[in-house]
Amino acid sequence: MMHYIVRRMLQIIPVLLIISFIVFTLVFIAGDPVALMLPEDAALEEIEQLRESLGLNEPFYIQYGNYVFRMIQGDFGESFRYGQDALSVVLERLPATFELAIAAIVIAIMIAIPFGIWSATKQNSSIDLIATGAAVVGKAMPNFWLGIMLILLFSVTLGVLPVSGRGSIAHLILPAITLGTGIAAEMTRLIRSSMLEILNQDYIRTAKSKGIKSVHVIYKHAFRNALIPFVTITALQTSTLIGGALITETVFAWPGIGQLLIQAVNTRDMAIVQACVMIIAAIVILMNLLADIIYRILDPRIKLN
Amino acid sequence: MKRKQLWFICILFIAIGLLVGCTGEKNGEAGKTEEGNEDNRTLTIALGTDMVSFDVHNHNNTSTEAIHINMFNYLVKRNNETGEMEPDLAESYENIDDLTWEFKLKDGVTFHNGDALTSADVKYSLERVATDTTLLDHANYKTIKEVEVIDDTTFRIHTHEPDPALLNRISRIGSSILPANYIEENGFDHFLANPIGTGPFEFVEWVRDDRIVLKTYGDYFDEKNEEWDEIVYRIIPENSTRVSELLTGGVDMAVNIPPSDWVRVNENEGTYLTQGISNRTLMIFLRSTEGYPTEDRRVREALDLAIDNQAIVDNILGGAGTPTITRVGPGDVGHAEHLYNTYNYDPERAKELLAEAGFKDGFEMTLHSPRGRYLQDAEIAEMVAGMLAEIGVTINIEFMEWSNYLELRNAGENKDAYLLGLGNSMFDAANALDYYRYDRFIGQLDYRNDEVEELLAAAEQNMDAEERNEQYIKIQELLAEDVAHLVLHQESINIGVVDHIDYKPTMDEMIYIDSITRK
Repeated sequence: MMHYIVRRMLQIIPVLLIISFIVFTLVFIAGDPVALMLPEDAALEEIEQLRESLGLNEPFYIQYGNYVFRMIQGDFGESFRYGQDALSVVLERLPATFELAIAAIVIAIMIAIPFGIWSATKQNSSIDLIATGAAVVGKAMPNFWLGIMLILLFSVTLGVLPVSGRGSIAHLILPAITLGTGIAAEMTRLIRSSMLEILNQDYIRTAKSKGIKSVHVIYKHAFRNALIPFVTITALQTSTLIGGALITETVFAWPGIGQLLIQAVNTRDMAIVQACVMIIAAIVILMNLLADIIYRILDPRIKLN
Repeated sequence: MKRKQLWFICILFIAIGLLVGCTGEKNGEAGKTEEGNEDNRTLTIALGTDMVSFDVHNHNNTSTEAIHINMFNYLVKRNNETGEMEPDLAESYENIDDLTWEFKLKDGVTFHNGDALTSADVKYSLERVATDTTLLDHANYKTIKEVEVIDDTTFRIHTHEPDPALLNRISRIGSSILPANYIEENGFDHFLANPIGTGPFEFVEWVRDDRIVLKTYGDYFDEKNEEWDEIVYRIIPENSTRVSELLTGGVDMAVNIPPSDWVRVNENEGTYLTQGISNRTLMIFLRSTEGYPTEDRRVREALDLAIDNQAIVDNILGGAGTPTITRVGPGDVGHAEHLYNTYNYDPERAKELLAEAGFKDGFEMTLHSPRGRYLQDAEIAEMVAGMLAEIGVTINIEFMEWSNYLELRNAGENKDAYLLGLGNSMFDAANALDYYRYDRFIGQLDYRNDEVEELLAAAEQNMDAEERNEQYIKIQELLAEDVAHLVLHQESINIGVVDHIDYKPTMDEMIYIDSITRK
């Protein structure tokens, strides 16, 4: 196991290097940040002068070489916008995004487990129809639309929850529901299908024939086994969560990495974009590794190669 | 329904109830500021973008300056009512010769750490922005050669060339005075994390992308603000969220209210929309490059005559805008009053002019336009296209993402025309009319008028204020006659405010806390 973990950790390095190249190239192709830093009526010579001062006149390979050399030393460069070390700006935002992501996962689990089990045990009933239908709707609803609707209902009309910002638990509820709904829909469907598969297994039939209460059969025999794919899929939801956070954080003025990345892209703050993407990539890779390890722990029959 | 199903539903509702209950806030009052409470001396303002930095010389960003203006001071300030220059940190100033200005600082001015303001602080601040080419505001200050300290409160500013716009220059973004000693002792990074200025409010906290908090500075040299104890700027990028915060009382003021929400804000009980004219002018820049139809003055005039500026203001901007023929607005030095709040509209004459220019059957041209950068920019571009279609000119609008748009323009790859809104934080015609200089836009616009060139060069360094004013008015008349570009209107500033607060926006788009009062 330890050998496997070390090998997977070492694989992260080339993956991150490839990602760094792709991100750097895309940002480079996307264009010149200097024009965005100066007013609309800035003279061309002013733009040129600033570009030179910031070292943006160098050819691509030199800029990329410098970037990789600095990145290896943990220096992602300075943010044009904030005039500060990009990595520290990004790390400052991580706790807010983690807080939102964890709350969203908790809400998703709270919704998905009961409805997934319920829907599987009552297959083809009206309850199943409603649960699976709700899952499709939940998955199809765009985050920004759901967020704005929740604000209109719970904040503007009912006045029970704050509109935006970060602070108390109350501030967390609407963005967490917005971010968690799509994931809950995905999880509900997953639990339902896993449960359906397991409920048709011989050992479940045996348990039932032994006269064990159906609650025990469902929760102790079926659900525990259905949890295996569920737990791993939950760990793999990280990229979905971060993708969703880009929109959710902007709608709810949540000061996390998603909002930072959107602003950095809009202002072509290359150092921030690169630092954000590298951190997100590292998190996603680590979560994938974690999913594999959890899978192995939950199901000892699986071999890690 | 079976017991188990009921159990599930109960658990779910209890969980949601617990989460809502955890808020500890009364029904209907979540996130509200203490509306109407006379003891509430915290003012909360929702902004669309976060402050860039506390480096006052390195941001070039109006909304950032709207915060800085309450923490730092300039040497002189522009009166938004009269347009006159008034002393701020400087008690008096005198133009000694064409290249030298002498200033005397007010007594008793202190930074927020208690240090007295001296000429050394002015020298440090102005020379920093004048010499450091990496600073975003450098270009506007490079005319300053040196600041010579005479004594603790007297200093002279020497310029490379005669600079008649110097007072306008040092009363805007990039000219705030920083504490030289404090920065020297602690380093600039420490200053950025713990900024101090001489303004009426001092720094408390900045949580990036979330909030900036200021509190009243008790020893402010002018008059201590008695209205507010604390100012909280909240960063809310999404328009609908910002409006919702205002409607629910989560904030006291919200900037950039989109036109689609103007009625909602006005009709909501407890809020109103306050509007003012900004000095940002929306224009369509035309190529005078050889081979383009708009090279011909008659074609440019025809396009201008086909556009009903007032209809755009009335139908798209709900009346919040002012049609104009010049970019130099009221309050700017060199403003030509007779070219403001007016426009040319005569579609029949436009058709005749097109026929005279050899385009009897019209022609096709491309208009580049941003979408969402300026108030209703895309809708305006579409309406202009509709109006020009009436005289046979087919406009192909290319909507572009802002950074690509700028890049295309800066590379000179723009086609016939592009739409742009230009502000003028200098409040001087020199800044506004520089856009008409031929050599600035070779290969991009190629507009050339030799008389305008001569007058621009003469006015730029003319220290005779009256004569300089006349020169700029003459330039605007020439440009209007030549229809260099199509000037549409001045934009409005739209701020949502709660009923118990009194506020009127100022043309410079700054939010002076001293001008915000409780009713």
